[in-house]
Amino acid sequence: MKSPSIPKNRLSVFIVGDDSLVDEYSEIASGFNYAIIAPDKINSLKPIAGKISIALELSNLDLDRKKKNLTALDKALPETTAILSSSINVSALDQSQWIMMKHRLVGIAALPTMIRNSIVEVSPTVYTNESAVDVARKFFLSIKKDIAIVQDRVGMVLPRILCQIINEAMFAVQQDVASPKDIDTAMRLGINYPSGPIEWGERIGFKQVYAVLDALHTDLGEERYRICPLLKEIAAAGKFWR
Amino acid sequence: MGTGIARVAALNKFNVALYDINETVILNGIARITSEMKTSVEKQKLSQEEMTGTLSRIHARTKLSDLSHCDIIIEAILEDLRIKKDLFRHLEGDVKPETILATNTSSLSITAIASGVKKPERVVGLHFFNPVHATKLVEVVQGTQTTEETMQRAIDFGEKLGKTCVRVKDTPGFAVNRVAQPFYGEALRILGEGIASVEDIDGIVKGEGGFAMGPFELIDLIGIDVNLAATQSVYEQFFNDPRYRPHSIQRQMVDSGKLGKKSGKGFYNY
Repeated sequence: MKSPSIPKNRLSVFIVGDDSLVDEYSEIASGFNYAIIAPDKINSLKPIAGKISIALELSNLDLDRKKKNLTALDKALPETTAILSSSINVSALDQSQWIMMKHRLVGIAALPTMIRNSIVEVSPTVYTNESAVDVARKFFLSIKKDIAIVQDRVGMVLPRILCQIINEAMFAVQQDVASPKDIDTAMRLGINYPSGPIEWGERIGFKQVYAVLDALHTDLGEERYRICPLLKEIAAAGKFWR
Repeated sequence: MGTGIARVAALNKFNVALYDINETVILNGIARITSEMKTSVEKQKLSQEEMTGTLSRIHARTKLSDLSHCDIIIEAILEDLRIKKDLFRHLEGDVKPETILATNTSSLSITAIASGVKKPERVVGLHFFNPVHATKLVEVVQGTQTTEETMQRAIDFGEKLGKTCVRVKDTPGFAVNRVAQPFYGEALRILGEGIASVEDIDGIVKGEGGFAMGPFELIDLIGIDVNLAATQSVYEQFFNDPRYRPHSIQRQMVDSGKLGKKSGKGFYNY
């Protein structure tokens, strides 16, 4: 079994997954001279497989599609190519059961807006080869991000904390404790949050927030992660209309 | 916190009667304001005149009857419902009928505090945040019987102090202390489940989330005992809704005397 590595001369990244994440990651990676291979190539990977240095699978919303993408990548790419896959809503270990070459899969916390900051959470599985983690570390370092290794659990660290804050903010709105705008103002000015939770939810996308909470609720099975009905409505409608 | 509120009110041209049963407590408070303001003058954040003016507008008072001329009373005494209710009940005979009775409580129900007085419609929450002079926010909390007029006057007052006021309905934790619960609660659970270390969780929350402080740094600063009490209060007021349930790590830290920064030991060593 050959270890995943980044070829020195070719720096092309294949990015597939949720639109907002593909856009963000493509924009940032191309800013650091990576050639970006368009996500629609997922259906015809064979001819270009040799060109791909690293593959990123960034689907959080549609896990069937995620499974199809990972299976296709695993079949087409040489075993030396690492796959970094968002593992917020389904653990990296569960994902690795979908593919043959489990050693190359590394979980990452990819939630919209987060790649704009300076740290990325990375979760190896029991199967993950150390050199695949090294590919993740080098890739993120090359786009000026540090990595933090965390255990491979649904919700990981920041997505779990942040989505629960947004959920609680929506419960407060639903209960008419304060207006959405006032709740945002209160959290920014009262305890110095970098953004109000509701405006933050809008930027991440309420569909994404809903998917994280839904995964936490299913995985942990606790009442604590019950999703605010108002948040569910907004995720379905795609916007905040109050 | 009372002295912090007195300082901001006096700085913004209000005459302030700073009340305590014990005069030494008041004088210590004024001494604290003086030394804090001196530092601000040295750093040229404040003029000498502003400081002198502010201090000249703060008057020590040790009798409740000396407060009868006040247009607004703000209590920031012990977080004990019975003591707060007693204070307002005693005051209401002394003050003018239109005087606002405001409470700076962070954890008790405004409606419950108002329940002992004859005119609950003039009782309102004015929830300031530490440090009062530097934090822009005031939660103006409407009890079930607080009138719109009282709310409006309380908001006007807060704005005259240079604060941004948000209207909040009287519910456990109000807005800030409620919505912030998962910041601590989820971090504690993530730690308890062995997903990441204290240092890693704080690093991720700051580096990936852009927060100024990590949850454990913040709990240490607040005091682990104070944070646990606040969590427990919200939890109990919501009749044990699991969303607000405290974590056994908190209790264990308190039991072992690790109270955070003030005790030298908490999630970090100081």
